Order: sequence, then C-alpha cells, then structure tokens
Amino acid sequence: MSIARMKKLSVIGLTSSQNELMEKLMTLGVVEITDQEEKLSDSQWREIVVRDTDEKTVAEYEGQIARVSQALDMIEKYSSGKKPLLRTKKPITLQEFQKVLEGERQIEESIAQIIALAARQVELTNAINKTVALKLSLLPWLEYDLPLEEQGTKTTDLLLSVAPVAVDVDQLKNELAEKAPASVTELIHSDTEQHYFWIVCLKTEHNEVDEVLRTYSFSQVHLGNLTGTAKENVSALEKKVEELAVAKCQVEDSIRSYEAEKGNLEIFFDKLNILKDRAAIRQNLLVTKKTFYLDGWVPARATEKVSNLLIEMGCYYQIEDPAKDEETPVLLLNGGFSTPFEAITKLYSLPDSRSIDATPFFALSFAIFFGMMLGDAAYGVIMAVLTGFILKKYKLEGMKYQMIKMFFYCGISTIFWGAMFGSWFGDIVTVVARTFFQAEVTIPALWFFPLDEPMKLLIFCFILGGIHLFVGMGLNAWLSIKDGRYWDAIFDVGLWYLLLIGITLLLVGVVPELAKWMAIIGVVGILLTAGRNNKGIGKIIGGFTSLYNITGYLSDVMSYSRLLALGLASGVIASVVNIMGSLGGAGIKGILLMTIAFVIGHTYNFLINGLGSFVHSCRLQYVEFFGKFYVSGGKAFQPFCENTRYVDILREGN
Amino acid sequence: MNVVFENLLFNGVFLAMTGAAIAALAGIGSAIGVGIAGQAAAGVISEDPKKFGQTLVLQALPGTQGIYGLLIAFLIMSKIGLLSADGPLDITMAQGAYILASSIPVGLVGIFSAIAQGKSAAASIMLISKRPEELAKGMIYPAMVETYAVLALLISFLMLNSVPI
Repeated sequence: MSIARMKKLSVIGLTSSQNELMEKLMTLGVVEITDQEEKLSDSQWREIVVRDTDEKTVAEYEGQIARVSQALDMIEKYSSGKKPLLRTKKPITLQEFQKVLEGERQIEESIAQIIALAARQVELTNAINKTVALKLSLLPWLEYDLPLEEQGTKTTDLLLSVAPVAVDVDQLKNELAEKAPASVTELIHSDTEQHYFWIVCLKTEHNEVDEVLRTYSFSQVHLGNLTGTAKENVSALEKKVEELAVAKCQVEDSIRSYEAEKGNLEIFFDKLNILKDRAAIRQNLLVTKKTFYLDGWVPARATEKVSNLLIEMGCYYQIEDPAKDEETPVLLLNGGFSTPFEAITKLYSLPDSRSIDATPFFALSFAIFFGMMLGDAAYGVIMAVLTGFILKKYKLEGMKYQMIKMFFYCGISTIFWGAMFGSWFGDIVTVVARTFFQAEVTIPALWFFPLDEPMKLLIFCFILGGIHLFVGMGLNAWLSIKDGRYWDAIFDVGLWYLLLIGITLLLVGVVPELAKWMAIIGVVGILLTAGRNNKGIGKIIGGFTSLYNITGYLSDVMSYSRLLALGLASGVIASVVNIMGSLGGAGIKGILLMTIAFVIGHTYNFLINGLGSFVHSCRLQYVEFFGKFYVSGGKAFQPFCENTRYVDILREGN
Repeated sequence: MNVVFENLLFNGVFLAMTGAAIAALAGIGSAIGVGIAGQAAAGVISEDPKKFGQTLVLQALPGTQGIYGLLIAFLIMSKIGLLSADGPLDITMAQGAYILASSIPVGLVGIFSAIAQGKSAAASIMLISKRPEELAKGMIYPAMVETYAVLALLISFLMLNSVPI
C-alpha cells in the first residue's frame, strides 16, 4: 500500500554486454537510472570514468522521429476516417511488431513520399495565394483596356499611378492641364483607399507631370512584366487558380491514400522512440575502457527479477536499502478501490518519499463527498453508465484510466446518496405524474428529504467533517510516531483530540462531567506544551497562539457545510427545471416543453454541478485534509522502459 | 389613496417578492465574474485553441453564485405559494420582512464573491496557459473564493427555512 519501497541499485559490467543488458532492462522496465552528474564532479571518480554519451545517434533518431511524426500529422490531417474519442494503445505481439518492421525500407519510402507530397502541398498553397493576390491587384485596372506592357510611343509616355483617396481629382486634373497642357489624365477606378489613374504625356513634359504627381503623393504602378489587357490577365489568373486548386486536391488525395499505412508508421515511430531512448540513456552511464557503471532505483518487489537478469548477464551488482533520510523516487502503489483516486493525489502533488501517500485514507471520503454534493441518483446513473461504458470499450491507462474509474466510483456514490435523499432528476416523477396524469406520486427517500430537515443534514455533514479531520490529525500523529517523535504525537494531536472531543461532548450535553475534564486537560496541556520548541518567552506565547487554532478547527468543520449547500443547489435547480417544464400543462405542447426543458435543463445542471462537486471534493481533501499532515514534493519514479505512444508490445511470459 | 398605496407596497407578499428579487441579484456578480474570466480565456485561446475545454471549465466557476441566487429566489417563490395554481398565500408583513432579510446574504455576498472569483478564475486561466497540467490547482483557487458564497447560501437557506408560514 501507498508508497512503494525503493531499493538502491548499483551495477558494474563489461562493455561487451552493455547493449544487451540495457535492452533487457528496458523490456523489464522497472529500473530508474539516475544521472551521474554528482559522481563526475567528484575528482576520485573523474580520474577513472567518463560519461558515456552518444549524442550523435540520439540526434539522428530525433531527426527521423520528427519526419515520421510530420508524416503522421499529414495523414491525420487529411484522413477521411472518424477520429476516435479517446486514443488508446493498440496491443500487439512482439512477432507482429518485428514483422511490420521487416518492411522498414518500404515504410521509410512512404514517409519520404508523404513528406514530399506535404512540401508540394505547401508549394501549391503558396502559389495559389500569390496568384490570388496578383489577381486582386489587377482588379482595379479592369476598365483599362490597353495592353499592360504598353509603355508609350516614340514621343509620349504612358503612366499608371495610384493616389490616396483624399486627393481631389478635379483639382489634380486642372493642375496637370496647366503644367503639362499636352497630357491626358483619366480616372479608371476608385475604391475606399485609392484612386487609379492612367496618364499620357509628352516625353518632354514628363518631368513637369512627375512634379505635380509628387505633390499629390502619387505612386507609380509597374505592371510591365504582364502582357495583354488587365481583363485577359485576370481571367488567365482565375484559370490558373482553378488549376492549382485541382492539383492541390490531387496532392491531398495522394496523402490520403497513405492512410492504410498509418498503423505501420505508428509502429515505426514507436520503434524509433525506443531506440532513441536507449541511445539517450547512455549519458547516464559511466564507462572505462572495458567496463560500465550505472546506478538507480528499483521498487523492492521487483528486485528479484532485476537481480536474476544481472546474474544472467554476468554483472557485478549491489542492491541496498536507501539511507534513513534519503529521498527516493515516488511510485504510488494502492490496491483495488483506492487506486483510481491516486489521480487526485497526483493532481495535487506527489507525496515526499519519506512521508505517506494519502490516497487510501481519502479515497472513500472523496467518493462520499462527491456523491452528497451531486446528490441525485439519476445523475449518478448517467455518470456510472457513461464512465463504465468508456472503461469497457477503451483500454485506457495512466491518468486517464484513473480519472474515468474514479468518476465511475463517484457515480455509484451519487446513486447511493441520491436514493437516500429521494432525488431522481429532482422530483421529475412527482411533477410528471401531477402534470400529465393528475396523480400524486413521490419516490420516497430512503433516509429523508434534505429540504424538509436541513438541520439534520447539516449536523450530519459536520460529523462527517469531524471524522475526516480526525483521520487527518491521526495520520499526523502516526507520522510522528513513525519518526520516533512520540511526544509530538501526544502533544500536537492527542491533546487536541481531548480538547475537541471534550468541547463537542459538552455542546451535545453527553457525559458533561467527563467532557469538562477532557476539555480542561486539553486546554491546559496545549498551553503548557505547544511552545516547547520555541525559545525564551516564546515558550509561553506559543501555547496561547496554538490555542487560538481552535478557530481554525471551527472553520475547518464549518467548511463541510458545503456538502449540504451544494447538494441542495443541485436538487433545487433540478426541481426548478421540472417546474419550468410543467408550465405548459398537459397535452402535446406540454409534453414538448417538458422534453425540451428536461434535456437542456438537466444536462446543464448535471454539468455545472458535476464540476462543482468535483472541485469542492478536491478542495475538502486538499485544504482541510491534506493541511493536517500531508508533505508533498516527491519526484515521480520514472523507470527506463519502452515509452511507446501507439502500440503496446506484448511479450510471452509477461 | 394613502391606504391603497400602503396595501399595495407594504404587504407580506410584496416584501417576500422583493426578497426573491434581491436573491436573484447575485446573478449580477456571476455575469461580471464569468465575463472577466471569459476575457482572459479568449486571450489564451488566441494562442492555443486546444485549451478551449480547460478554460471553459474555469470560466464556469464564477457562474454558481447566480445559481445560488436563483435557488433562494425559487425557494422564496415556492414558500409564499407564488408557483402554485392557487396564487400567493396570505403572508403577514412580519413574515414578508423575515423572508426579505433572509435573501440578503446570498444576494449581496453573491455579487461580490462572484466578481472576486471571476478575477481569480482569470488568473487561473493564465496559469493553465503556461502550465496546462496544473488545471486542478487552478480550479482550487477560485473554489476558495466560492466558499463564502456557499456559506451565504447556507445562511440564507437556513434563515428562510426557519420562517414559519
């Protein structure tokens, strides 16, 4: 349970067997190989060993991987098939894996072709953009019916110019007529930004024309490299765009035709990744001319397998317990029900390796809190069925699997609490029966209706909260005992237990005499001991400040009132939806309104309150519960293994 | 004239309905809060459209105050019989005033807490734009703010529930 015990492994072997060993360690996938930076800075080590690196191979594989993933992206982008909702790894036997890779050359060729096609596709897209841009720039000149290459005659010059729209056309024409009487100016087109002109002038007057144009901030347009009229050009360009688009479609079709090879490409991708990891791990190894050295971590339960392998490979090795305060990588190992709730722990932060994993202690309460806050049996059924279906259909792993499985359990808890509080889509049965059948039907609550007796539920929430907090404090005490700090457990937790239980009993009025003394011993004890680690006057003040924490405990317990409030929220909103649906009365219109209100309203309520329940369940764990004892900051155990993305390689005897 | 006016305004049902209206005002805060978070979310999406789902979750968080307000407003309406076919019950002025008072926590706290929560949600959206894996932590910060809206809801509910009709 909880955090897996780690053993420290050090291995020395012959370089000749290094590759084979690394390959087998990778298949075994239970050893984390640590970086040797520290040893290399030690001069004694540095004299005899060097870091074993193979960056060139790594870079080579990375290049290849980038190509494969580009090809895969292209196939994905143009694939016609439906994309699966959740991506799962395909299980595949080693034989199949190797068989596919026998056609490696073929796969590489396909990749090269796909990449070439992709490049062609980009080229065509650019060409289309360029052509369209050119066409757009010609559109204003459509009315200009001289060939664009025309520059003028022996004695005249022909200019095409544009001016900002602010220019006054008449004034310009007048000024040109004045300065260069022989010139002809024609406005061809105006749009929101510019005026488009053509101007004919005598070569001798060209300078004068230029001067006038400059004062009006004209700029000359050169379309000289085009031949024929603007109209001819535009239609030619349009045709060209069409042709390019057809070609682009063809290229995309050809990319699509590689869809059948996607599976092979994925296997190739995974193989490259395995090889890359195997090359990259070498930099964590230290080598001499003939030997290598590595060290790392192995979970205690896997040591046998590892030592068998090391003996078989003829290596010298040592497996030892970590030093008492040494930090080890953290691997969470929980059984059965609590496993999926590891996701909640991971979302917070892994526990410190010397502390404890909180998962088994909060798994049940998380499900209970979630169920009480969502609090509707029908919503619970939807959740459980949906997540159950996903779990059945897809072979998920890691975080995704844990989250879905966790929501499955939360769904079941929601069904339970919904039934206890008699909520099935709020009060849909009652409302439907009343509206459409004029009958009074209620689904009885197995326990009670929270709307009728909210105080009862509120107190129940506080009791749950109290238990939850006490478990957290208990864990804190247990951690102290584990560390041999017995007095801390008694002073920091035991006395608080006495005080809090005493006060509670006093409030309830059970065994007042005993309760009074419990509270008094608690208060006095805390006053005397809480400041014991402080210096000087702090010893006295420490007691008082610690006692002030009683408000903290009070607000912690109050915080659990959200179980009632959020449960009420989802229940009441559900009835609001039902009432809105019933406003249409009986009859076809009424049924229609009810259906619409039901589908939209309950979907919304389910989503928003499901989110709220999740967030607030997390909060109760993270703030109220973890705050009592949890030490976070562990580093995840990352074994050297086959880190594949698309397939899961099955081996015999595994 | 005076008598008619008094009957119109200062009667139990009117006071209770004013209470329902005040409770529903919590929606103001939610609207502003969701708006603030939405602005931040849109900015993040402009960089990385794949984060739509995550940002939407965070944007939804300040929306709950409006729901709490609706909840109390609805409970008030059903308590004074406004939703039943027979029309409103006979409510005394004192009862109406009690109901009016009970609506204030959720209405008032709802407005301000939703705005604060919206700001916090916007900050969390910025957080996941850089570290999408920290979504859970990003959800906890706005949830801390929401606690007070939940407490106000609870008080409003308990107050309302204790008014004898």
